[in-house]
Amino acid sequence: MSKRTPLSFVAFVCFVCFVRIVGAQDARQIVAEAQTRTDATSQRYEGLLQVFDAKGKVSDKRWSFERLGSHGQSKAVLRFTAPAEVKGVALLIVNHPDRASDQWMWTPAIERDRRIALQDRSTRFFGTDFSFEDLEERDVNQYDYTMVGDDAIDGASCWKIQSTPKQSKSSQYTKSYVWIRKDTYAFARIENYVKDEAVRRLNYSDIHNVQGIWTARQMEMADLRRHSRTRLTLDKLEYNVPLKDDDFTLQAIRRP
Amino acid sequence: MFRVFRAFVCLVAIPAAASAQALSQRGFLEGSVFAFPQEASNDPTRIVGDFLARDELFWTPRSWLQLAGGLDFRANTHDQVDDSWALDFSDRTVQRPRLSVRRAAATLSHGPLSVDVGKQFIRWGRTDVLTPTDRFAPRDFMNVFDNDLLAVTGIRGTIQTSAGTLDAVATRFTPARVPLVDQRWTVLPTGIAPPATPLPRLFPDSPQVGVRWNHTGAIDWSAAYFDGNNYLPNIQPLALTFPSMRMAGGDVAVPTRWVTVKGEAAYFASSSPATDEYVMYVVQLERQTGEWVFVGGYAGEAVTNRRSTAPVTFAPDRGLTGSLVARAAYTIDVDRSFALEGAVRIDGGGAYVRAEFSRAYGQHWRATVSGVAIGGQSSDFIGQYNRNSHATAALRYSF
Repeated sequence: MSKRTPLSFVAFVCFVCFVRIVGAQDARQIVAEAQTRTDATSQRYEGLLQVFDAKGKVSDKRWSFERLGSHGQSKAVLRFTAPAEVKGVALLIVNHPDRASDQWMWTPAIERDRRIALQDRSTRFFGTDFSFEDLEERDVNQYDYTMVGDDAIDGASCWKIQSTPKQSKSSQYTKSYVWIRKDTYAFARIENYVKDEAVRRLNYSDIHNVQGIWTARQMEMADLRRHSRTRLTLDKLEYNVPLKDDDFTLQAIRRP
Repeated sequence: MFRVFRAFVCLVAIPAAASAQALSQRGFLEGSVFAFPQEASNDPTRIVGDFLARDELFWTPRSWLQLAGGLDFRANTHDQVDDSWALDFSDRTVQRPRLSVRRAAATLSHGPLSVDVGKQFIRWGRTDVLTPTDRFAPRDFMNVFDNDLLAVTGIRGTIQTSAGTLDAVATRFTPARVPLVDQRWTVLPTGIAPPATPLPRLFPDSPQVGVRWNHTGAIDWSAAYFDGNNYLPNIQPLALTFPSMRMAGGDVAVPTRWVTVKGEAAYFASSSPATDEYVMYVVQLERQTGEWVFVGGYAGEAVTNRRSTAPVTFAPDRGLTGSLVARAAYTIDVDRSFALEGAVRIDGGGAYVRAEFSRAYGQHWRATVSGVAIGGQSSDFIGQYNRNSHATAALRYSF
């Protein structure tokens, strides 16, 4: 017995490691597949942002969004179109495969651009419940994954996966849980944690097939500490539209 | 010439007609009331009303061309606006023009190169508390503590590379607008009488030129050179002159784990007589956390060649040096914000603090109330305005 115990223990450890590796591999593959299925050379939409405060009061903002390139290599410009007082405010996001994105904001009232520093990315973006970091792309290679199990969101069967940012990602979040629908590989929910406290939850809904890509046309970010939420509704959504690299520069965001 | 212009308009207008997105507009109407609790020695008026209407249009008829135009209309109860209804383009009037072109520029872009021609805004520098290298950004100092940018007329070429941008600029001289001599923001030393008539202003004919390399990377930095004239005047017995100025400077932003450290410094030399040569520098720390934005720093100056002996000067940039400057802004919710800013002279000569609360109503309206408290000695640039503490209420309709 005493001779067999170490062997059993080693076998058990090997089994646990195998299960964890396979599980991790599966989880990563699922997220990678979800990402692959949303690959497009570009994207454009007009977004309606509705900010609901804790008392239920609603404020509307609108932006136009253009993205060039695919995951990890993309550039995006987000430009406010309403309300009138923030027209022309623009955010340039340059995503990188191996580190956090670079972000610059153009404020026409002072005719200046300002880089959003890494340590400032947890700040709310223009009074919405999205932080600057939430506007970045979540590239599969910037996280480690663990399969948590199966779950259902709005009646749809999903994989529930834990993602932990790699050190190079420089995230405000300690970890996130990601729900991916089994039928379409579309994201259904992301719940973000600081240490063990859930701080923000992003729900995806109104999922449609747009030019072959399953896309949520409504996303709702809830700030679980402030008890407020922001709903983003996508309108005039298009993929693979002709966009120019020159329109994703600091020079270009000055031009409304 | 007219044929060429007509052909150009046809060339750009016909394709654009099909695209409503090629045209964008923004503007506002704003009414403000300034209330000063104390009379000034040269100005008993304690309530000032001001109105500004602004409309700007941006038209992109071709992917390589954008046209920008904007107009301002102003009115004021305290004679700060010129009576003339003539459309002003040059921003050289003593008073604010009643009707003026805010911007009128064409931007042509091709690949990494873009060229802006016309009346436009050009901002250099990275710091906020004071911006020594921002030489193409004269300001309207009619109210010293509530000033506004003025556009410049000229040409700006920019080349964008993966490492940064190279800017080359040539403009016509645009002076800063200084306070009116018979109003409270002009404070004359004891024993000096105001001139019976406004002093003539002698504008330089030479162009203002500059070049700047702005590097973006893990650490952002820039190096800039300017050769032109100071937009702030030397006040001489018989005239206001604008001394020649050569500026070499730069700025840097270093993100650290807790704060972003920004620095900006410039050396100013001049071939004009009675004009100081000096180094101006700023070090500031910046942090956003939660709903807060904090900016704080120190602005300093080292005079390398003191030549000015003028008893009267007006230099808000140099006047703010030797001060600790800080600003904190808090976003209460999506509609409301609060900000507190101030400057304290380290020698104790003067200080000011401003508190501002702003609230949006619906999609178009915003109300802002603010209070500015100023204290200090008459010999200090900030302190000399110790009778100009004031409260402001403004209502803006944006469209």
